[in-house]
Amino acid sequence: MRRMLKMTVATVALLAGSAAAFAETTIEVQYPYAHLFTKTYENIVGDFEKANPDIKVKMRAAYESYEDASQSVLKESITKKLPDVTFQGLNRQRILVEKGIAQPLEPFISKEADFEKDGYHKAMLDLSTFDNKVYGLPFSISLPVAYYNMDVLKKAGYTGELPRTWDQVIEVCKAIKTSGQNVDTMFWGWNVTGNWFWQALNWSRNNPMTSADETQVNFNNEHGKWAMKTFAKLVKACDMPNNEWKEAMANFSAGKVGMFFWSTSALQKITNDSKGTYELKTDLYPEIADGGGLPAGGNAGLVLATDPVQADAAWKFLKFATSGQGAAQVALTTGYMPPNKAANEIILKNFYDKNPNNFTAVKQLPLLRDWYAFPGENGLKITKVIEDAMQSIASRERIDEPEKVLQEMSEKVQALLPKNPS
Amino acid sequence: MADITLSPDRLQRTQTPATRRRASLRNFKAQGLAWMLALPALFLMAMLLLGPLLAVVVLSFTDYSLGNASLDWRGLDNYQAMLGDDIFYKSISNTLVYVGIVVPGSLLLGLGAALLIESLTRGKAFWRAVYFLPVMATLIAMAIVWEFMMSARFGIIPQTLALLGFPAKNWLQETATALPVLCIIGIWQSLGFNMVLFMAGLSGIPRTLYEALELDGGSSAWTRFWTITWPMLAPVTMFVVIITAIRSFQVFDTVHVLTKGGPNNATMVLIYQIYQEGFDFFRSSYAAALTVVFLVFIFILTVIKARTIENKVHYS
Repeated sequence: MRRMLKMTVATVALLAGSAAAFAETTIEVQYPYAHLFTKTYENIVGDFEKANPDIKVKMRAAYESYEDASQSVLKESITKKLPDVTFQGLNRQRILVEKGIAQPLEPFISKEADFEKDGYHKAMLDLSTFDNKVYGLPFSISLPVAYYNMDVLKKAGYTGELPRTWDQVIEVCKAIKTSGQNVDTMFWGWNVTGNWFWQALNWSRNNPMTSADETQVNFNNEHGKWAMKTFAKLVKACDMPNNEWKEAMANFSAGKVGMFFWSTSALQKITNDSKGTYELKTDLYPEIADGGGLPAGGNAGLVLATDPVQADAAWKFLKFATSGQGAAQVALTTGYMPPNKAANEIILKNFYDKNPNNFTAVKQLPLLRDWYAFPGENGLKITKVIEDAMQSIASRERIDEPEKVLQEMSEKVQALLPKNPS
Repeated sequence: MADITLSPDRLQRTQTPATRRRASLRNFKAQGLAWMLALPALFLMAMLLLGPLLAVVVLSFTDYSLGNASLDWRGLDNYQAMLGDDIFYKSISNTLVYVGIVVPGSLLLGLGAALLIESLTRGKAFWRAVYFLPVMATLIAMAIVWEFMMSARFGIIPQTLALLGFPAKNWLQETATALPVLCIIGIWQSLGFNMVLFMAGLSGIPRTLYEALELDGGSSAWTRFWTITWPMLAPVTMFVVIITAIRSFQVFDTVHVLTKGGPNNATMVLIYQIYQEGFDFFRSSYAAALTVVFLVFIFILTVIKARTIENKVHYS
């Protein structure tokens, strides 16, 4: 009975196949933040299906956020309803790798002939490398940059070079304060995911979060102390308001803040809001020491399909989305940039010439560093410990004891790190 | 009642062995039928209430984290970790403070509003609607409105205070004021519901009692309230206390939208901590242990309330 059924199915499939002239594979793809990326993916999928008529891409309803994205995949791994390709926050990849849900991409990469020529370089792949294996291809990248409201700066009589150090930032703050404008001097995005800017200050001194074997906290050293003290100094000297991030962004967008240190991902929105109200300029993130870097934000595509046919199609889509025209769509439709070298240097050259504010982050690409995800079951809880410590300074409660805050934060993080190297 | 009850001797007279057998069979059948009818409900209860509850209790003794393929028994590890978790203590005390403020606050103001509206000769329906509006509105949407109202730069509240010479601050971002502001929003939200309950209670008090009091010489508003209204409202009051307390223990929406438990965990409440541990940090087993503590809390409170308050309430 079963064999007969199989045969019938096979015959029907054969007939159907010959009728369609080729076998069609359907892959399911899911990505976060509909309000940022809907247009991007529409364009990419359209182009992809034209180039690969044998593969159909079915878009699932977008994840609400990075948190929702990893939550959904974890749940779907239990019910075996995973999409073939998923786009996840860079710091959320690790948890899926550790739980064995994401599939290594090495077998596919080894089959690619022109992988490097397609624009994939080491710094980009490093963002998705775990245990020396590549698990994802970064899709859209953001870096910390400085946004300036040039109108506020001019009214404060500040016409010199834009700040290159945090002390110069404080000078501008003082100039804005004495000019008596009804604005906040600056906002420094300590609350972007609660630990991204902490990593930024540490990376700017090339100071990793943990020891090489990931069992010891590393930021309880001189560089860490410098980082925490710099943060406290900025909050105090600049009278930085203790805003929640949405409010901080709304204030800067509306022209009520002089300087804004934040992710490039907000550029599209802020550019639109600033039009006709004030002159917006982005510039390099201040004070990167020699050998220092900046943590990448953004997301990467992971292949979750295990069936070889599905996985193959999934890989084709992922490669398409992260190189060439696909990758260029990221810059054209969002404030993010593609990490792909070829896309940035060749296809997007004109675009960046016309939009210098978008080019700031591209200039910083050589500084690209890992958005470090803490290891083990407590990895995400650790980010909360860091956020709480930073908040106790931003809210002025412990602004006068940054070293003590750092000390306690280090002890708490240490207690949550795995005891043995992973 | 008496006219439909069979007198015992009449019952005895009609019972022969055969009819008794028939009766017990009928009884058995009726009982079987009752169980059959209750079965779907029992099944659903086991699947939707008891099953998950048991699963949560079991999970709390393991090291399970969402997405893991396997889990290990860890005994009381999670509960031990809880004892050393400052955020846990903070969320317990914050929850108690929230309940301690919102329950009496919304009860007294709800009662006050009900009495005032009841005393009106015209426009009762209008004021009833006004006070009831916050209950009808979705709390999440209203929380967003509150967020705008509290915004330091654009919000109507800080800006109004700034006109009066106070510094324009977003109180939701201040460690000292964030929880009180959430309490005020909580009171604002449940006041209308309590008011409607009290109004229903008020309309159930017979006029004759007031007339009797007047004949006995008690005519001041205070005596009327203290000797008749308040005691007669006792059942309603108990209901209001229970409902408001349970709803306050479950406060989540406003915390999630407005503060995410911050600043400095000043508004971290139990349910939000459970949510964060379970769905933000994926520490499912620890979240399960917190849930068990939460359930124990609710259970104890329910027992205390049932024991102490129910005994003192006059049911008319």
